[in-house]
Amino acid sequence: MTTVRTPATREELAELLRAASAEGAPVAVAGAGTASRRGPATDPPERVISTLGLDRIIGHEPADLTVTVEAGCRLQTLQAALAERGQTWMQAPARPGATVGGVLSTAASGRRRLRYGPVRDSLLQVVLATGDGRIVSAGGKTVKGVAGYDIPRLVVGALGTLGVILEVTLKLWPVPPSSGWFTATGDVAALAELGEALRRDLHLPAAVLLEPGRLSAEIIGPPADLVPPPGMAAADAPPEPAWGAEVLVGVPPTRLPALAAALTALGRPFQAELGVGTCRVGVETAEDVAAVRAAALEQEGHAVVADAPPELRADPWGPPPPGVRLMERLRDAFDPAHVLNPGLFIGDAVRSAA
Amino acid sequence: MATIPMTAVDRFRAILGDDRVLQAPTERLLYGKDGSIAEGDCGLVLLCETTGEVSACLRAAAEEGLPVVPRGSGTGLAGGAIPLDGSVVLSVARMRRVISVDPLTPCAWVEPGVLNLDISTAVAHLGLHYAPDPSSQAACSIGGNVATNAGGPHCLASGVTSQHILGVEIVLPDGEVLTIGGPAPDPAGYDLRGFVVGGEGTLGVVTKVCVKLTRDPPAVTTLLVDFPSVASAGAAVRDIIAEGVIPAAMEMMDRVMVRAVEQFVNAGLPVDSAALLLVEVDGTPAQVAEQAAAVERICRDSGAASVRTARDEAERALFWKARKNAFGAVARIAPNYYLHDCVVPRTRLVEVLESIAAIGEKHGLVIMNVFHAGDGNLHPLIAFDRRDPVQVDRVLAAGTDIIEACVAVGGTLSGEHGIGLEKRDYMPLQFAPLDLDAQCRAREAFDPDGRLNPRKVLPAGAKCGELVLDAGSLPEGTWL
Ligand SMILES: Cc1cc2nc3c(=O)[nH]c(=O)nc-3n(C[C@H](O)[C@H](O)[C@H](O)COP(=O)(O)OP(=O)(O)OC[C@H]3O[C@@H](n4cnc5c(N)ncnc54)[C@H](O)[C@@H]3O)c2cc1C
Repeated sequence: MTTVRTPATREELAELLRAASAEGAPVAVAGAGTASRRGPATDPPERVISTLGLDRIIGHEPADLTVTVEAGCRLQTLQAALAERGQTWMQAPARPGATVGGVLSTAASGRRRLRYGPVRDSLLQVVLATGDGRIVSAGGKTVKGVAGYDIPRLVVGALGTLGVILEVTLKLWPVPPSSGWFTATGDVAALAELGEALRRDLHLPAAVLLEPGRLSAEIIGPPADLVPPPGMAAADAPPEPAWGAEVLVGVPPTRLPALAAALTALGRPFQAELGVGTCRVGVETAEDVAAVRAAALEQEGHAVVADAPPELRADPWGPPPPGVRLMERLRDAFDPAHVLNPGLFIGDAVRSAA
Repeated sequence: MATIPMTAVDRFRAILGDDRVLQAPTERLLYGKDGSIAEGDCGLVLLCETTGEVSACLRAAAEEGLPVVPRGSGTGLAGGAIPLDGSVVLSVARMRRVISVDPLTPCAWVEPGVLNLDISTAVAHLGLHYAPDPSSQAACSIGGNVATNAGGPHCLASGVTSQHILGVEIVLPDGEVLTIGGPAPDPAGYDLRGFVVGGEGTLGVVTKVCVKLTRDPPAVTTLLVDFPSVASAGAAVRDIIAEGVIPAAMEMMDRVMVRAVEQFVNAGLPVDSAALLLVEVDGTPAQVAEQAAAVERICRDSGAASVRTARDEAERALFWKARKNAFGAVARIAPNYYLHDCVVPRTRLVEVLESIAAIGEKHGLVIMNVFHAGDGNLHPLIAFDRRDPVQVDRVLAAGTDIIEACVAVGGTLSGEHGIGLEKRDYMPLQFAPLDLDAQCRAREAFDPDGRLNPRKVLPAGAKCGELVLDAGSLPEGTWL
């Protein structure tokens, strides 16, 4: 029987983890649950620890462009508070219900990554509860700092397997006063070429997105810069993809046009971030996952099942990345009893495959 | 001093040949120091030229149980490359090839000994550059930049080294070679690449680096602003950021520094200025015009005496020459300097600068400031003469006061130079015992035997919380 605990303090949360480690009882860490359909399709642990009780915005320092916030705070709550002072967590994705901790644990970046970088670049300080219930702080609250090892970066994308994120300090950006989306339609090869030309000719476009039949670009700048690039027209922002199941592909940016061609041939819907090298792909069957992964590998990349029902998650990660041995040791350092989100640690998948 | 056993020396000679294993006293003396004020004790120098050699040397060192200190150009300011107790120094300074340039991504694979500036020079004809630009960029290596997570004036808007490294090849202490990351983003598993950046040579030897390149901005404007007081300059910095303008760079110099630099560079700086602000904005012509106007307006509102805009590229280069030669100019004031690297919240800049001035007075020392004002990264520089032991004691005491003043307002120990040896024993000011213990465990995941750059970054006893601290004096095993 599943029991969900929603601690109201970090000490209480750490205590639950201490107990779980002592008993060797696995624990699922949950935020809002918007990104929970990932990892291998194993039975989830009976114990669930929710971060939703830790949802305070602890301090927004507008003059310093930083905010300190608890992990269970919802993205829309945080962004609304920041917007009141004309600021934003620029690298965050548009996933309103998600929690801050969930966004960071899944390394989910927003669509302006081409210009502002991935979400991991925005994390200045993290406070986390390790698997054995130690409360550890790393990084610093200042916008720049190199004191100590970069545990904050390690935690981003670790899917909660190194610790439960309790609190973070984030670097913010001013909300740009003006920006605009532009679009062009046509066949994928021609659009990819146009997109690559845009990346070369425009100064720091915020996004250049390639989809079947459509290219969209966002430009941020003063009104004088918001003119349609050659071959494009002003348009609304393209909608966020909403597929039943999604695979996230990463390839060297120069390989994206070839990947797009391959996905088109497979008849898969996709949204590729030109210049970044990431591509969200809609899938329906396990065969789709395999075909998309083969296309990614062909382009020297990788494909991770990011959000899908269990039957598509037999092999969620694909071939293991280099350094799994190091990852195992790091996990031992932070979660010696291996109680946190078992299954979401890539080393386990590698071991069970071997 | 521990001596390196002959059997070990012979093994290294078999790998590198006699002429790339250095043992002469003068050479060991040279490799016993870096850009910081301390001097250590080097037992042997290995000059590696390939990844294979680095791997073979590390494996041999592991089998012989010898500690190894990785080294790039040796310009580090925190003593990170200083060997202690006759350690082996492994230099990758000869690994200087630009392996491949991909102008479309754009990115490049380079060897670790390639100098920071040489990357930008190599891709300038493509309209590209490598963004992080430490003042030492003509001398420091990209491997050293990765190890220290180096910053530079132009990291304000574009971010420090870590944001510009797509992948690395690293040799672990046992000789295993791993390629982590690369141009394909977000591989599955932990972000080892991100963790290795800033590892200060304690996690592995970086033998290849995939750097992200940046397109040259279409327009640039550089402003030199003269303020009647440090407080008014600090207020301008705060207000520029608060208004939502993030310049490409925003640097400050105080009066003592301006005078020293002007004598050295002859850039026509206003020597009566109490504080100079160097602000650069870049982007599209429309963006630059808008931001430059905002910067100028805010500076004037804060009481700027004059605002000078670089007329052309030559004048812009002159402004930057003045800024980047600041440390060199200090030689005119005193033979040595001790440089700190704290970061404080931008809202506390003025207050901390006042504290630093008071600390200088208290200890009877000249403290000059030249720093990355835009991100609150201070570089208080204490001028002194190392031959005077009384002065040295005062310099170290003033350093402690400065660090404590910065941490007290929510600051951090280092913005870009790293912890190395010099700031190691200050770590407990910023981190609790459990925090240091966690860092120690993470480091051991890479180096379980603690043989790579031992006794750097974390204070002795960090693992068990029984700290042995010696802040405010020269670390054991070093001297001036
Ligand atoms: C005048 C002057 C100005 C400076 N200005 C700046 C500045 O603006 N910003 C800034 O950030 N720094 C600055 N520095 C400091 C210094 O240049 C940087 O820290 C630089 O990154 C060090 O590079 P290096 O090649 O000299 O490294 P080294 O001094 O040789 O080594 C530094 C550290 O990196 C490790 N290391 C070196 N190479 C490797 C490798 N291949 N693999 C693993 N570990 C390695 C060493 O063990 C050591 O811990 C300045 C220094 C001077 C002297």
